[in-house]
Amino acid sequence: MMTGVRRQATLWIPILCAAQTVGPGFSVGLPPGIAFRHVNSASARKHLIEAMGGGVALLDYNGDGRLDVFLVNSGAIDSGTFRRNEPRHWNRLYRQNRDASFTDVTAAAGLSGAGDGNYGMGVAAADFDNDGDPDLYVTNFGRNVLYRNDAGVFRDITEAAGVAGGGWSASAGFFDYDNDGRLDLLVTRYMDWSLRASKVCGTSIPVYCPPAEFPAVANVLYRNRGDGTFEDRSVASGIAAVKGRGLGVAFADYDSDGFTDIFVANDGMEQFLFHNNGDGTFKERAAEAGAALTGEGKAISGMGAAFADFDNDGRPDVVVTSLSRQKYALWRNAGDGLFEDATLTSGLGAASFIHSGWGVALADFDNDGWKDLLVAQGHVMDNVDQVDSSLASREAPLLAANRRGRFERRPLAAGAVAGRGLAVGDLNNDGYLDAVMGVLGGAPVVMTNKGSGSGWLTLELRGGKSNRDGVGARVAVNGQHQTGGAAGSYLSSNDKRIHFGVGAAKTLRVEIRWPSGAVQTMEDVRTNQILRVEEP
Amino acid sequence: MSGWMAVVMLAAQAMPPDVVKHAQAGMAAQKEGRYGDAVREFTRVAELAPGLAAAFVNLGNAHMLNGDHAAAVAPLRRSLELNPALIGAAQMLGVALLTSGHAAEAIPHLERTGTTGPLGIALYQAGRLPEAIARLSAALAAQPDDPDLLYYLGRASGQLSKSSYDALQASDPGSARALQLDGETHVALRKLPEAEKAYLAALRLRPATPGVRLLLGEVYATQGEWEKAAAEFKAESRVRPGDAESAYRLGHALLELGRVKEARTELTRAAGLARGMPETLYDLGKAASLDGDAAAAVRHWEELLGVEKQSALALQAYFGLAAMYRKLGQGAKADAALVEYRRLKAPRAP
Repeated sequence: MMTGVRRQATLWIPILCAAQTVGPGFSVGLPPGIAFRHVNSASARKHLIEAMGGGVALLDYNGDGRLDVFLVNSGAIDSGTFRRNEPRHWNRLYRQNRDASFTDVTAAAGLSGAGDGNYGMGVAAADFDNDGDPDLYVTNFGRNVLYRNDAGVFRDITEAAGVAGGGWSASAGFFDYDNDGRLDLLVTRYMDWSLRASKVCGTSIPVYCPPAEFPAVANVLYRNRGDGTFEDRSVASGIAAVKGRGLGVAFADYDSDGFTDIFVANDGMEQFLFHNNGDGTFKERAAEAGAALTGEGKAISGMGAAFADFDNDGRPDVVVTSLSRQKYALWRNAGDGLFEDATLTSGLGAASFIHSGWGVALADFDNDGWKDLLVAQGHVMDNVDQVDSSLASREAPLLAANRRGRFERRPLAAGAVAGRGLAVGDLNNDGYLDAVMGVLGGAPVVMTNKGSGSGWLTLELRGGKSNRDGVGARVAVNGQHQTGGAAGSYLSSNDKRIHFGVGAAKTLRVEIRWPSGAVQTMEDVRTNQILRVEEP
Repeated sequence: MSGWMAVVMLAAQAMPPDVVKHAQAGMAAQKEGRYGDAVREFTRVAELAPGLAAAFVNLGNAHMLNGDHAAAVAPLRRSLELNPALIGAAQMLGVALLTSGHAAEAIPHLERTGTTGPLGIALYQAGRLPEAIARLSAALAAQPDDPDLLYYLGRASGQLSKSSYDALQASDPGSARALQLDGETHVALRKLPEAEKAYLAALRLRPATPGVRLLLGEVYATQGEWEKAAAEFKAESRVRPGDAESAYRLGHALLELGRVKEARTELTRAAGLARGMPETLYDLGKAASLDGDAAAAVRHWEELLGVEKQSALALQAYFGLAAMYRKLGQGAKADAALVEYRRLKAPRAP
């Protein structure tokens, strides 16, 4: 059922044209009102954690139809502990105004402070309580925080909900693993590390220690009970049966069995693909599926992950960002539960060889019907140029256009920064996907899509029997496929709306397979609209 | 040393009982590793039988076993004065002189005895680099893993190339080869932009200088600029169509670019130019696998494993083979390849 069509005029492109850098595809700059600066408190002691933050979420927290921006801060490292009490260490929520400027509403929205003893990492946004507004889950080293959104004001309900976690959490994502209509939560955990256990590596040049210097840990799965509380099902579900060094997480049903599977990007070891058995349990199957190692049998430093259909064959593929000279990995879903390493044949290897990537989006930025690639970049070592002059701790993001399944690098005139988190969404509702990148120790980068003239369709799903956001719904539009949900990338949360570029098509056929099992088909759908669809 | 023991035993048979007694005590001490005692006993033998060459040989030998090569020199010299035909004594003297820092003096003794390895080292220490390289290379053919020989061959080669390069820079600093050398120095210092400039300058002077485009391509490859690297390797292949490395590098760059069919062509050409090269065979297998030709991938990787079974490339080949065998429906072979992959990957005990 189609219940409404909205389209908002593009208002802030002229403002951004005055920004300092311009590149094909995107204008780059900070819109008025966003004054955030990430604080990571880097020091000569080379605490690894200072190199890893922070995340970004794009969400419409007040339901006004415009995406707002939530930025995760990290904090101070003082005398062997973490501190967040100063306002400059807080996470920040920026509300988008009608004129495309932003207003810092952190305090008014109840998000002041971030809890001393925490060091901020990432964020997941979704309507976990199905009340119509997006909630926030912020990951930290220390205690994670679940903020319930009550009509635009957030309340910390972590303790009651039972999702504080512990240790070093990284990315998190909401998904409905048991298709009961309530969003569950997967939290990746990086490693068994503490300030006390921190050490410096390198001989002549001090560097951050590689992850293998610290023990691996298990990820955490919380099942939503539907009463505002969660149950830790990590062990019972089999998620905790394997230990890793998890950073990124992304979800999709890779074998089309109707249950959402999990891909976890691990740093410096085999990647994890948790197959959803459909009975509340998971089995880690990356090795047998061919997605644990590269085609050469090598482990990569997995950072961010995207789980989407890059070649329009109807099956979700996996992209994982990694460190320089490893090449970002692309595992093509070959069907029958198997993946093939398509890093080279897709052109991704050549496009990424020298780069180090974090946040990643597989999304159609030029609306030609093929999902392009955008990656936040910068080597993890802030002094890497002293070790190898070809490498850099600050890099421009990578933009690669998808030309019928082959990626071609596109120039992007953004400045070199230490990119980390990356979230994608249509900030100005013009039908072209924009992006916000979190920058380690710096101001975020907002990339506004210049548009291409090609058509588009954005779907805003409203579940009934399924979860209200339609997370996990499998949507096909004129032969393209996407999965509903905001998770993916690195430490970040995307616009939950599902965007399709449709090229020159005038009318569209839309098919939605809801998590409940309902299948909804719509013919002759008009292009260039934001279409709200309710589950039948 | 058993031959020398035989010499002294034969001589001892005609010697007075005191001499025999000390000689036997010396040999017993030596056998038990009490080299200090052996030195004392053989010193006594030499005192009691000053005309017996073998006594001095044994004394020199005991000193060497005791770690005092300098002390061995005098008795060994004396043994040769008494009997110049003692080839073994000459060899020991050469080694003792070399080890105690008298390389030039050691050379005639080592030359006389045909002791190739120590002679190579002595020639290196005496600054006779081309001869040293020849001798060390010959010695390595017989003892390919000898760390001393490998070390000194590396040193000698490095010094010889440095002196040649110094001469090149001094005689014609603006020549293409001198600029090429500049480029190589920049690469060693990881100054790649400077290296690129030097190579380009060399090519401006002599566009067809053999080898320069190969080096320039490697600079681009290191920086992930595979299109530019492929163009240079292709140009090098035009200059030197018979060069297997240029063909391999071109094939590898094309593979990195995902142009697998072109990569297969060049890699096949490289394999024809130099058979059995592990890198070429690995890339051939990889290109075939990416091209959907599982049977060819298996053929190339199996050939690679026929050349080497323990290397990093072998590890990768086993991993790739497991996937290809599975694709071909050969489950048992796939499992076996995976076992080999895991065996090679497992950390080894120190």
